[in-house]
Amino acid sequence: MATDPWRQWQAFAAMATPGLAPQPGAREGAFSFGPFVDAAERFASAARGFLEAAAHSPAEAARTFSDSLREQFTDLLQVPFKADYLCAADTSFGAEAPALGLTREHQQRWQRTAEAWRRMADAQRRLQLLWSDALREGAVAFAARSVPSQPIVASPQIVHRLYDTWIDCAEEAYARLAHGEAYCSALAEFVNAGSQWRQELQASVEQSAKLLDLPTRSEVNTLTRRLQRVEERLRAAAKERAPQKRAPKVAESRARRARRKPKP
Amino acid sequence: MTATSLYAALAAASHCAAGCSEKEAVWESGKLRLYRYRPIARAAGTVPLLIVYALVNRPYMMDLQEDRSLIRGLLAQGLDVYLIDWGYPDGADRFTTLADYIDDLLDACVQRIVAAHRLDALNILGVCQGGVFSLIYASLHPKRVRNLVTMVTPVDFHTPADLLSKWVRKIDVAAWVGEGNVSGDVLNQLFLSLMPFRLMHQKYMELLRGTADRARIENFMRVEQWIFDSPDQAGAAFREFVVWFYQENRLALGRLEIAGRTVDLNALELPILSLIGKKDHLVPPQASAALQRLAASKDFTTLEFDLGHIGMYISARAQREVPPAIAGWLASR
Repeated sequence: MATDPWRQWQAFAAMATPGLAPQPGAREGAFSFGPFVDAAERFASAARGFLEAAAHSPAEAARTFSDSLREQFTDLLQVPFKADYLCAADTSFGAEAPALGLTREHQQRWQRTAEAWRRMADAQRRLQLLWSDALREGAVAFAARSVPSQPIVASPQIVHRLYDTWIDCAEEAYARLAHGEAYCSALAEFVNAGSQWRQELQASVEQSAKLLDLPTRSEVNTLTRRLQRVEERLRAAAKERAPQKRAPKVAESRARRARRKPKP
Repeated sequence: MTATSLYAALAAASHCAAGCSEKEAVWESGKLRLYRYRPIARAAGTVPLLIVYALVNRPYMMDLQEDRSLIRGLLAQGLDVYLIDWGYPDGADRFTTLADYIDDLLDACVQRIVAAHRLDALNILGVCQGGVFSLIYASLHPKRVRNLVTMVTPVDFHTPADLLSKWVRKIDVAAWVGEGNVSGDVLNQLFLSLMPFRLMHQKYMELLRGTADRARIENFMRVEQWIFDSPDQAGAAFREFVVWFYQENRLALGRLEIAGRTVDLNALELPILSLIGKKDHLVPPQASAALQRLAASKDFTTLEFDLGHIGMYISARAQREVPPAIAGWLASR
């Protein structure tokens, strides 16, 4: 074990992962090494399989290994929060319905909220497709770089080298994607739709707060702005007064010095 | 290294504090603290050096631990070092603008230092976003800055390698920020997603490589603490920074106004030292290099290091080379 860093890593991760091997001081909800346990195990296993198979059928071995890497790293690329669970619901309900009557404003607000969710979900799907493309591109580059020309024993050093090569390939493919117009547009759309959703939800929450005569964020903001303006005026007044305050002191000190002068 | 020894070393290091040099708060305003570091060497005789750090992340990266401290290196060169800690903005700071940070708070710090030393001007070392603030300040108050050092400071925000700039170009920043602050966690996610495979996977897999010595593990944990110790950003200042700099590139185009005054880099005639990380993924070298083209200074020095953004503060090479370079450059002026 001492000579195989991958096994050491797995043993360490098992120790550091709550639930796998409870340790004093290990806290629930803390950073979990669980994914790294899995990643190390799966990567080492796939790498060994790749090296064994590559001696007989390099192209097939590379394809299998690449596919397993794409699958393993899919979860690494995620949006900060997902619109998935709401996509399951029918967010198009009433989206096109004309808003009429006493609750017209509220109907429109909820339509806008639902529309923002739909846009977020669409943008999220576009991002996931692009990430999948990047992983595929990285995997293809990795396979091209990593197929051994002769049979190799899967030593820990070889597995490490394969891992580093994979990270290089994945990062290069991701960078090409991330600089591209399609990715920038999808990311911007996700953020913009999320902003609109939050804005509409905030308006709904404020509406409820008003009904209960609770202070709203908008009211607190108004007060903060007024306070800020008062502070600015105070600072400006203090700056204006500063030279006037200093002037008498200077005059006083000059007078003191003059008084101290020895008489001829 | 065995799993047991790594686990024990990480557990022991999980509470190790960052920061090693002695300092005292000499002024405060709201959440801002102005620190002065205690000297550890004979004074070099230069005017005080004020370090202006970014609003993003905490300034203790400049003084992480004894062998990874740019500030300690500067003190060892005999410099009189001051540092601005902007603090952690909360909801009450949401309307704080760039003008408040630069023309009010930064100016107040400079005024206090020059008054205390009976000087007209001091030296400024601006780091990353703090470098942008320093350039703006020097442009607005040229008589108060004697020499300016910029470190991994973006000036042209539209260079081809600037991924952050490309990402935010089409974002409706006003809607994104709304009237609130921007969460530090969101920014962390953004920075991690610049290089997700290295920063979210390989870094942790690397832990078992090398030795389990205490110093290495404590260094790792301090950097880890710093990376995720990200203050929320005051909404108004954040919005201005993203729109004016990342989207509209006003600083490079000469269209920036702060506190009602035009910021003209072309009017910067003071001596400038620009420190650039050639492997910087956050501030591409070209983004910093633009300063030489835009500033009028005839005394302009560029030093490039084969380092990344964080490596510029804490790598062994940076410790050896950056403080003497800064001190030597300042001493000769």
